[in-house]
Amino acid sequence: MTKRQAAVFAVGATGLFTAVFVGLTIHSHTAFPGLTNQADITPEVLAGKDVWHRKNCVNCHTLMGEGAYYAPDLTQITMQRGEAYLVQFLTDPSRFYSEEEHRRLMPDPKLDDAQKRDVIAFLDWISKIENQNWPPRPILVTGGAVPGGYATGRRATAATSDDPVAMGESLFHAAPPGCAACHALSPGVVMAGPPLANMATRAADVVASEGYTGAAETAEGYVRESILEPSAHIVPGDLYSADGQSFMPNNYGDLLTPEQIEHLVAYLMTLR
Amino acid sequence: MRYRSQSVAYWFFAVAMLLFALQLVFGFLSVAKYLGPDPLLNVLPFDVTKVIHTNLLVVWVLMGFLGAAYYIVPQECETELHSTRMAVWTLLLLAVLGVVAIVGYMFGWTAGNKLLEQPLPIKLGIVVVMLMFAYNILQTMRKAPRVTGTAVVLVAGLLGAALLFLPALLDFRNYTVATFYRWWTIHLWVEGVFELIQASMLAFLLMHLTGVSRTTMEKWLYIVVGLTFLTGLIGTAHHYFWIGVPEYWLPLGGFFSALEPLPFLAMALMAYYALRQMKVAPPNRVALHWAMGSALMAGIGAGLLGLAHTWPAVNRWTHGTMVTPMHGHLAFFGAYGMIILGMISYTTPFLTGNPEKAHRHGGIGLWAFWLMVAGITGMTMAFGAAGIGQVYMERILGMGYLDVQLLLHVHFQMLVFAAVVFASGVMLFLWDFFMRHPRQGIALGEPAVPHEEPAEV
Repeated sequence: MTKRQAAVFAVGATGLFTAVFVGLTIHSHTAFPGLTNQADITPEVLAGKDVWHRKNCVNCHTLMGEGAYYAPDLTQITMQRGEAYLVQFLTDPSRFYSEEEHRRLMPDPKLDDAQKRDVIAFLDWISKIENQNWPPRPILVTGGAVPGGYATGRRATAATSDDPVAMGESLFHAAPPGCAACHALSPGVVMAGPPLANMATRAADVVASEGYTGAAETAEGYVRESILEPSAHIVPGDLYSADGQSFMPNNYGDLLTPEQIEHLVAYLMTLR
Repeated sequence: MRYRSQSVAYWFFAVAMLLFALQLVFGFLSVAKYLGPDPLLNVLPFDVTKVIHTNLLVVWVLMGFLGAAYYIVPQECETELHSTRMAVWTLLLLAVLGVVAIVGYMFGWTAGNKLLEQPLPIKLGIVVVMLMFAYNILQTMRKAPRVTGTAVVLVAGLLGAALLFLPALLDFRNYTVATFYRWWTIHLWVEGVFELIQASMLAFLLMHLTGVSRTTMEKWLYIVVGLTFLTGLIGTAHHYFWIGVPEYWLPLGGFFSALEPLPFLAMALMAYYALRQMKVAPPNRVALHWAMGSALMAGIGAGLLGLAHTWPAVNRWTHGTMVTPMHGHLAFFGAYGMIILGMISYTTPFLTGNPEKAHRHGGIGLWAFWLMVAGITGMTMAFGAAGIGQVYMERILGMGYLDVQLLLHVHFQMLVFAAVVFASGVMLFLWDFFMRHPRQGIALGEPAVPHEEPAEV
């Protein structure tokens, strides 16, 4: 190859691939509105984006895997934690995590109430972007126990059998609903919600107890109620609720089909 | 050094070296927070130290590039700089912008956009710096008796960097679209135009250090340019994998970014070829080490370690883990840090007098080289071990992020150990550099009279 041929190669390759790259970029712009649900970018989402930038969140956290690697990925955090929980967390992170235990802690972000709602709205919009199903499996904030070979998949995946318990177990580990992101199955392991190690036994005890404030009459009924109306009966503990409102999202009735709820109930009732 | 105005490069290099030292301080602060608990949590939290660490890197690398350009272009084009005074103002303005930005970060003044955290006024200031540089260097070349391929590629790289900075000035409503264009600046800098700058500096150094012909070096240089854009433009898509773009970017990004080691391979071959064809006893062994080292370490860090996690089926699991800083640290230091240190090692004897005694500090210079190479290699291995552990435990087994980070502690301890080795090399380099004093003040408005220098090709 002569020097002149090399120069022609340099200019030609640069020109050709610039053209291809710009062409694909123009095409991508036709796809962005659909893939990112552009119609859902409300003023709250935009205000939340400003909070995200102003507070430099991306230099500890990642979003869609992009950012720094010092704090958990937040792509699907609103699928794992309800708004009530996130508001309380943003108010005082040290209430939920111990710097002594985890060796690091989020400093108080000093947000007012509107900013908290806005940034949560922004994160919720992010969680719904069609991004080739990343992450392939929910990235949990905490939870030390290895869950032991659960079915893969970010969206609710089909279980390998049509047994309601098997389908419920599969759903429990999928996101949404992301139950496993907050509830451990090992006794005494507190992630964000109470551990569900002996759920069926405890449900029977709760329904029979004096302090029960819900409307269910059976253990199974209580499990169903706790999914659909988490605040009907509050499990004691500072980490789980504030002002009589459970931190658990209260929209599973919309997010899941009635059959899926029954599958979850069937699965949870096997935990004795 | 044949033209007095080239001496302005010394001051760019001097400021760059100070910022390099400061970058290490913020690197150590950041890793200390990985080991935690953090006594500075409410004063200087991780996000601030990390931003300062990366921003200092960008500023010192840019300063190194500008200094190198002010040295190389007069020499290649056989003329004095158009305006030395303007070059000094460029340096001062960039330094002031850097200091203001860093102090601003400490007080929460940030745009909070990864690697483009500079608030808008700072960004506009950077545009002014780039325009001043572009005007000065283009005027120099316009009046020059000759314009070489090496100078053209170097200046094209720097002007390309200025052009690609423009999307960073825009504000996008849609986070996905903002991310899409953020990579036009970041990716097309580090895996595009910066490679042109690196390759032209490498060509310049190899010509002077080994005596191989200009024709051969510039032929290789053009091949590197072609391969860089052939692979790197569409290779941008490896940053588009999981951010909400059309599906076709996945196979395209996988394929073209898997080819991205090619320009680095070409640079390594170019260096190997030059070494084999060596026509003179190397006038500066330290600089030759850095030039060869840059060609090799860029190939490993930017090329191979990038390739290691660029395929979509792999990146699906490794995306957003410590695997990325493994690649990032060796890529940036190998490609851009080392070539600038090479340029500094080569020019310092001329800029500080006694070019015939270039070997006098060779011992210290080589110690600095090997300590830095050993240190960065250890750091890369520590990041890599942490990243692989994180991928398996957090992403594949599904353990919680915070719990996995605790289990990675031993790797962060090893990172600190390797970083101490690296920092000791940097200290030696700085001592070697600052022990020598610039030969003259900056020759403002001197007549364009070339003066003779020994040991120049």
